[in-house]
Amino acid sequence: MEDMMKDRVEQLVDYIMKNCLWQFHSRAWDREKQNEGILTKTMQILCEEPVEKETPMDKVHWVDAVCLADAFKEHYSWLAALDKGEIKLLMQGLKERMDYLTITGSLNAELTDPHY
Amino acid sequence: MPYHKFKCSECIPEREKHAVVKGPGEDLTSALPLGYLNTIPGSISERGCAYCGAKHVIGTPMKDVIHMSHGPVGCTYDTWQTKRYISDNDNFQLKYTYATDMKEKHIIFGAEKLLKQNIIEAFKAFPDIKRMTLYQTCASALIGDDINAVAAEVMEEMPEVDIFVCNAPGFGGPSQSGGHHKINIAWINQKVGNVEPKITSEYVINYVGEYNIQGDQEVMVDYFRRMGIQVLSTFTGNGSYDDLRAMHRAHLNVLECARSAEYICNELRVRYGTPRLDIDGFGFEALSSSLRKVGLFFGIEDRAQAIIDEETARWKPELDWYKERLKGKKVCLWPGGSKLWHWAHAIHAEMGVEVVSVYTKFGHQGDMEKGIARCEEGALAIDDPNELEALEAMEMLKPDIIFTGKRPGEVAKKLRVPYLNAHAYHNGPYKGFEGWVRFARDIYNGIYSPIHQLSFIDISKDEISTDTKFLTQKMISDVNLSEEVACSKDLREYTGKYETITALRNKTYPDFPAQKKLSVV
Amino acid sequence: MQCEVKNKERAGVINPILTCQPCGAQYASIGIKECIGIVHGGQGCVMFVRLLFSQHFKESFELASSSLHEDGAVFGATHRVEEAVDVLLMRYPHVKVIPIISTCSTEVIGDDIDGVVLKLNNGLLKEKYAGREVHLIPIHSPSFKGSMVSGYDVAVKDIVSHFAKKDKPNGKINLFTGWVNPGDVTAIKHLLSEMQVDATVLFEIESFDSPLMPDGNSVSYGNTTIEDLTETADALGTIALNRYEGGQAAQYLENEFDIPTIIGPTPIGIRNTDIFLQNVKKMTGKPIPASLVRERGIALDALTDLTHMFFADKKVAIYGNADLVIGLAEFCLDLEMKPVLLLLGDDNTSYPDDPRIKALQANVSFQMEVIMNADLWELENRIKNEGLELDLILGHSKGRFISIDYNIPMVRVGFPTYDRAGLHRHPVVGYAGATWLGEEMANTLFTDMEYKKNKEWVLNVW
Repeated sequence: MEDMMKDRVEQLVDYIMKNCLWQFHSRAWDREKQNEGILTKTMQILCEEPVEKETPMDKVHWVDAVCLADAFKEHYSWLAALDKGEIKLLMQGLKERMDYLTITGSLNAELTDPHY
Repeated sequence: MPYHKFKCSECIPEREKHAVVKGPGEDLTSALPLGYLNTIPGSISERGCAYCGAKHVIGTPMKDVIHMSHGPVGCTYDTWQTKRYISDNDNFQLKYTYATDMKEKHIIFGAEKLLKQNIIEAFKAFPDIKRMTLYQTCASALIGDDINAVAAEVMEEMPEVDIFVCNAPGFGGPSQSGGHHKINIAWINQKVGNVEPKITSEYVINYVGEYNIQGDQEVMVDYFRRMGIQVLSTFTGNGSYDDLRAMHRAHLNVLECARSAEYICNELRVRYGTPRLDIDGFGFEALSSSLRKVGLFFGIEDRAQAIIDEETARWKPELDWYKERLKGKKVCLWPGGSKLWHWAHAIHAEMGVEVVSVYTKFGHQGDMEKGIARCEEGALAIDDPNELEALEAMEMLKPDIIFTGKRPGEVAKKLRVPYLNAHAYHNGPYKGFEGWVRFARDIYNGIYSPIHQLSFIDISKDEISTDTKFLTQKMISDVNLSEEVACSKDLREYTGKYETITALRNKTYPDFPAQKKLSVV
Repeated sequence: MQCEVKNKERAGVINPILTCQPCGAQYASIGIKECIGIVHGGQGCVMFVRLLFSQHFKESFELASSSLHEDGAVFGATHRVEEAVDVLLMRYPHVKVIPIISTCSTEVIGDDIDGVVLKLNNGLLKEKYAGREVHLIPIHSPSFKGSMVSGYDVAVKDIVSHFAKKDKPNGKINLFTGWVNPGDVTAIKHLLSEMQVDATVLFEIESFDSPLMPDGNSVSYGNTTIEDLTETADALGTIALNRYEGGQAAQYLENEFDIPTIIGPTPIGIRNTDIFLQNVKKMTGKPIPASLVRERGIALDALTDLTHMFFADKKVAIYGNADLVIGLAEFCLDLEMKPVLLLLGDDNTSYPDDPRIKALQANVSFQMEVIMNADLWELENRIKNEGLELDLILGHSKGRFISIDYNIPMVRVGFPTYDRAGLHRHPVVGYAGATWLGEEMANTLFTDMEYKKNKEWVLNVW
């Protein structure tokens, strides 16, 4: 079960890595906001929950989330069989993995530069 | 860490951590080269200087500006007429370049007076142009001329003109990227916010990090206009100086080349709260998704979808014609900075080629993160490559084609590896749906060039066929294609014209009535 | 009505005709075999010059940088030269010659490249590269002095003076070509070979035009050897074709080794080629053979078809390196044309003393301007704002938009000529060069007549 979850997270990671740019903003604090904002909203869309999109920042995250959710649904048919709880768990796993790959485990020495 | 050791660089151990191969099970936390560090002297790196990053890459595409370099004549001359960033004002910025012509006496006594004289002369020579950018060079930086003070003095005396000062001397940073950074920050500090624009749409964007190479910007702006979006400014290709002073009034910054222009987007976000949306203008999938995102942001995704549908129907059969013939061909994707990630996945997914190596001349680790993330397993990623490493890599990887700059392309030619110009393009534009087909067409023509095939024959040793008096690209490319694909009625070769930009300039656009009253600020 | 010689009045440069000294030094460097120059300065000083060479020749040449960064600019960067030499020698085992070329930045900060060379000679080279022949040659070419022309001149002199060593007479002449193309070297060597004169040609750059071979060789290179350079002190005489490109080196050999020296004329056109051959004959005692009389006749025959019919009174503007511009102007006069505007692209103060310019002043009877320290705006402004009417422009590719925007036919000549294919393969010197230039000018005018429908029917019966 855990292996399957891991494998599915990796599939989603692979999609993001190959097709998205939002996860690679130049500083750690921006990456945190991007991952949090976009992946949370993606989860909400997949779970058919309401999504905040009033402020420009929320909106720009929502935009990426809409496209990501659609792409996930299109590319990964197993997603349709998951219930909300499972999706939340999956997306939590995805968020943790993305944080690790792009922030906490990242070898990019510029992430902590205090200036742009 | 899966570092790749070049034989030719064994004697310079500092190079060891600048190349990696992403192997099975590797990810970015284990496979990322060092980047944006000082160059090893004498290594014959391909890097340029910070001055060129500022003046040549970002500054000069601004079209209605006198671009003057304060220094000896060489910096100016050398960075003039080596780019293909066109503009819709008859390429004014491509044609004219200005140097203050600093000489020995100025080095000793200072050149501020000379600078002022130059500024006045240049405005006099071009009375219709009222905007100027002054670029510091190594020499003027080292003698300590106060360029800002001279610019302020002239603006005081000539209120109709406006002058931007960019202090990015050649030595300022490991590569041209140092200059990208400096000019971004200088522009937002000095100029953004001091012009109020006329707002003509409910949907207003800045298009950032786009340099109108062979018309890329005009292709993309065409899509935005078809969606009823006002492109307030472009930073900087085909961009206008005064439009760029009004960047603070856009609702969204649409960012293309994050390498050269993410700084200003980040600052605009901090200072004015304008969100940043990173997009790809290259590749059907990525471009479609980019247009859709911009549409979604404004609630006009239906307009985006209409464009995507129309363009895809028009051009996809042509892209696929090339994809069938490019499948499995090995590519070294060796550009300067951003194209390694803009292209790596898109050319693999949509043209079927295998990216066997990516490199970046002046990119940072962030570019390598994106590039490596978008490559398949086994790709060799090199930071700040040098001449011998590039040769060794080509000999090892035996690519079918290489995408790189003009001069390294000449090196590849001698190894009988065809090249496409990754910076200036061969027959661009490459952005947009049609542009992507043009790129595929250029790759195809490069790989299947009959003349190129001849370069592998040694007439003193090889058997020469006396039957074959000519070959066409298709005779070569279709040898191993199935009958079904080769004769498919659903696929076709590129049917566009040689020149595609003039038509865009003469286009009229639909009027989208505004939903709410526009605030004229 | 006369020839007026004056300086550009503006202080600045709008569209330069020439780039700066380090480019010239680098052009000299690539002419030498087993040589890679190191440019001490910012990386752009090398990267763009390499790009420029590759634009012109459609070939790549090897040149290295000391990669001056911020810390070096503040604290001095001679250690980066030391590192560059070491890295280069380690990775390029065939390299024997390393010119160390200075730039504006490293001259301003006062980096002592002569001192570094001394230090390396006594240290690194003795310790790590004992037994390997390595020549480090400091070349001072700050960008704030002269131009690429003087940079080339200085570099050739520094290279020659480094190597030249008297041994026994070798019976050859030294031939300094100046800043020319491979096609010019071929043409000059052909003339010398017809006269059976053995010459050391500096530089042997025919190999710049390198082939695409089945085994795949990787770079274009110069072919002048250390022996060639050393032997320059043993020659029976020196001819420098150009006064400002190689003249200093010729002068050096004359002063140092008493080698009889003739500087100029640039052998562009029939008459200058005649003089060149006469000079070779004088220097070597070898007669001018019948084969060259015939070759000259073919050139004259070709040009006679063109002169009074098509060239007479055509107004020409010429810009570029001074020797080239003057040589072309002289040829144009022989062709009955009117070179009304000559633009010399740098501030060499000795131009007014050049006897060729004095001769123009003494003899030209139409209005002619020679602008020193000129830029391309001197040309464009006269056309755009001062009513200058031209029939033809002769110059390099950087002026291409003047031709395009004002509809004036232009023959690309000089360096660089990247917007035309293969021009480096064609000579402008010698009888072959005269024919090629004459016919190129004529064909360019013909195309223009047709394009503008300007008496294009004339060509029906020509």
